[in-house]
Amino acid sequence: MHPSHWLYTLPLRLRSLFRREAAEQDLSDELQYHLEQKTHEYIAGGLSPEEARRKATREFGGLELHKEQCRDTRRVRLIETTLQDIRFGFRMLYKNLGFTAIAILTLGLGIGANTAIFSMVNSFLLRPLPIKDPEQLAVLGMQLKKGALQTSFSYPEFQDLQEQSSSVFSDVIAEQLSEGGLTINGKTEPMIVFYVSGNFFSALGVQPLLGRFLLPSEGAITTLNPVIVLGYSFWQTRCGGDPSIIGKTVLYNGHPVTVVGIMPKEFHGLYSLADMQGYLPLGMQQVDSSYQPHTPTDRGSRSAFIYARLRQGVTFAQAQSALDVISDRLAKENPKTEEGMTISVFPERLSRPQPDLDRSLLKVATLFLILAALVLVLACVNIANFLLVRATARRREMAIRTALGGTRLRLIRQLLTESVLLALCGGVAGILFGLAGSNALSSLPLATTLPVLLDFHLDWRVFGYAFAAALLTGLIVGIVPALRASRRSVIESIRDGGRTMTGSRSPLRTVLVVAQVGGSLMLLIVAGLMMRSLNYAKRSDLGFEPRQLLNLTLDPNDIGYGKQQGLEFYKQLLERVQAVPGVESASVAFSVPMGYYSYFDSVGVPGYEVPSGEAPPNVGFNVITPGYFHTMRISLLEGRDFTESDVETSQWVAVVNEAMARKFWAGQSAIGHEFHMAGLSGHSLRIVGVVKNSRTNGLTGPIREYIYFPFAQQYSSLATLQVRTTFAPDTVTPSIRERIASLASTMPIFDVHTMLQGLYTLNGFLLYELAAALAGILGSLGLILALVGVFGVVSFTVSQRTNEIGIRLAMGAAQSSILRLILRQGVWIISAGLASGILLALAISRLVGNFISGVSPYDPLTYIGVSAILCAVALLACYVPARRAARVDPMVALRYE
Amino acid sequence: MLLLKILALEPMNGYAISLRLKQVSGDVLRVSDGSLYPALHKLEQEGWITAEWKPTENNRHAKFYSLTRLGRGQLDKESANWARLSAAISQVVKLEEA
Repeated sequence: MHPSHWLYTLPLRLRSLFRREAAEQDLSDELQYHLEQKTHEYIAGGLSPEEARRKATREFGGLELHKEQCRDTRRVRLIETTLQDIRFGFRMLYKNLGFTAIAILTLGLGIGANTAIFSMVNSFLLRPLPIKDPEQLAVLGMQLKKGALQTSFSYPEFQDLQEQSSSVFSDVIAEQLSEGGLTINGKTEPMIVFYVSGNFFSALGVQPLLGRFLLPSEGAITTLNPVIVLGYSFWQTRCGGDPSIIGKTVLYNGHPVTVVGIMPKEFHGLYSLADMQGYLPLGMQQVDSSYQPHTPTDRGSRSAFIYARLRQGVTFAQAQSALDVISDRLAKENPKTEEGMTISVFPERLSRPQPDLDRSLLKVATLFLILAALVLVLACVNIANFLLVRATARRREMAIRTALGGTRLRLIRQLLTESVLLALCGGVAGILFGLAGSNALSSLPLATTLPVLLDFHLDWRVFGYAFAAALLTGLIVGIVPALRASRRSVIESIRDGGRTMTGSRSPLRTVLVVAQVGGSLMLLIVAGLMMRSLNYAKRSDLGFEPRQLLNLTLDPNDIGYGKQQGLEFYKQLLERVQAVPGVESASVAFSVPMGYYSYFDSVGVPGYEVPSGEAPPNVGFNVITPGYFHTMRISLLEGRDFTESDVETSQWVAVVNEAMARKFWAGQSAIGHEFHMAGLSGHSLRIVGVVKNSRTNGLTGPIREYIYFPFAQQYSSLATLQVRTTFAPDTVTPSIRERIASLASTMPIFDVHTMLQGLYTLNGFLLYELAAALAGILGSLGLILALVGVFGVVSFTVSQRTNEIGIRLAMGAAQSSILRLILRQGVWIISAGLASGILLALAISRLVGNFISGVSPYDPLTYIGVSAILCAVALLACYVPARRAARVDPMVALRYE
Repeated sequence: MLLLKILALEPMNGYAISLRLKQVSGDVLRVSDGSLYPALHKLEQEGWITAEWKPTENNRHAKFYSLTRLGRGQLDKESANWARLSAAISQVVKLEEA
């Protein structure tokens, strides 16, 4: 339509809407004027005033009819009647406060559960990074001979990729995760940092909050550019948000660096689980002397993540085919390190926290969204049931409306408006519940002082989702009752006179309740499986004793200690700590079981042929001080523990676990055999001991091969002091802190927690706990909703059949037979519900099977146990109204209406 | 179109329009007084005419309608259409006579 059209019509529409009285007055004045003129005309023509008026009115036709026609031309009818419906809807809701409150609460819980879970999905999978054109950002992953997907590349590989992929990528970025210590004004704080290539900031298109970012020239690995960019929250908490820090020289791991800039607040780095605290040029990792036995020219030493930005108009498929060519070429040129290499490109958004071939995060998200949606469906069924009951009660109202000329469409619209209103109120409650839920999720205890970022805050996507869920809910729960209420003919309804018909059954309501019982059974089965899986994980043998063990993480490199100084520090620390009363033994190790730090490297064993088409075995390892096995209670099966005489200059030695011994030296003793590690070329490693298998990373699956090396031979500056105590482990914390301070007063302590707390990490129990808790909450919600549904439908039948029951009792039926009569219906609903629930659970068991361990997704015990519980509780929900029915006084029942 | 044409000459109130209608078309087009108003309101809502309360000759307030720029355009369009249509119809009618 022509825009100037609106110039004329818009004011008219607004006037019709908001100044309705004025418009009405105008209309009536105008018509009145016409009639008066006409009357005058006839009077002038010789008629009496009385007759003239009558004639004028007659000629005019139906005054009200024409008025209505004029109103119809105003084109705001729809809005007007909707507003009317909304006003009426609010009145109806207000009139039935009890019903409204229950309905809003029910919907609120349903929508809240969905909102909370969606907020997690949103933060992991949907919310884009705060960078320029985030959809162009890709993550690279790599496989050797189709082995496990690795996300790290070596520096030479990064350089090759950068040079050879410029046709598809405008920028290729390398970043390496590390930790260090920052000393400002004599106080040292540990921090998580990224070493980044010089193009990091320009490629992402982020702007500094203050100062500047790294220059492209500062990222080269061969130069030391002593500059650092601080993350926003680190700057706020550790520097008090002081802008004068820019340009100041601080100590990073004891080396002077200049603070050149501050990150904007919303940027937390590219690794979605952590809040990065500092950014240094890639070359600066040379000064960080913790485990760095390789020079950056080693193609096999892979520790940098590679991100790339697609060129404008280039698709991921095109980028992938370009990478296929490059990886083929690299594999041919460097058969030693890159044989069988394939590089894959992943969109950043689908690769959080890391690229994953199985998309397991997506699967988790799908499962929980399905479960949450099911809870909402159960809530909907309840509301729909309530509305059906109310529709029955409002039959007369509908009949009168129809008799007064309300069209069917109009009635449906009115009823739908009411249910949508209800649902939107539920949506508001749901957002509040969801807010509480996602806050609880965001503040999960992670047993680490790492700056873990679980930011599930609600943004417009979450609100949009909640709103859409509410709107859809309103339409779905409203449509069936509305259709049914408006279908009945006027005559029938009025003749009924509001009397409920004896024995009228509502098959639809029964089906809905069956579906409810089924849905909640499925939720409960999933919850039961997850809880059993958690129990299994908790009871499974870890291979070490996590009780009465305290972990303190330190890094002497933070205050500039080199290797010799660090070794000396740890040695004296162990001596002093062992003298603390209550300490039974103490040792130092790089990795803590279920912790966030671990080493992996590929192993070469003489005489062991790597099966063709397979990558050389990649094995996890740890570096430990003598006494570690005693402190951890890991039993030594064969050979010896490390001793103080295993030093750098003596023969390099190793202790392996059973799995390793069995894999490479099956049927013989592993003691005395030698092997190589890719990262330790030039050293032959001799096995001096074999220990029992223990869990190091993850609680499920077979225990993999694992190697221990002496701390003195492969020093790691970042390490955890593990203290076994004779009483509650945290009681010795103050005296141990004291001992550390007495040795090095500025030494920062990274992290203090008991080993039991330490098991609740993302690698340990945390996800099991979380999954079981979420499924449990959803299952309980479903159970409550289903019980309300069963109770409601049986009560309703009882109230509908009160008359009939009265007659039966009057005719001499025993109370028990009435009880049976009512219970029979309940039992039928419950058994149909159980059957459908078990079928539903079997249908999604494959999906569930991905997230549980130690228990089959078809575990009969869970299925039977949960069904029995649900059955018992549901029967109780039937029994209460059934007993009420049986106790009915026949006289009261017959007079009921 | 008829109403637009009448209003194109001068702004008028509803009563005057009804008189004029009767006057120009004689008894051929009998528009009941009542149904005139929905038609006028429809034109107003379309934005083709606009209304204003003004005193009449005998000093009473009445709602006067006048043509807008949009309405003039619409009138031209409809007139042209009508001309084409009536020409076509008269052609057909002549054809039958021949």
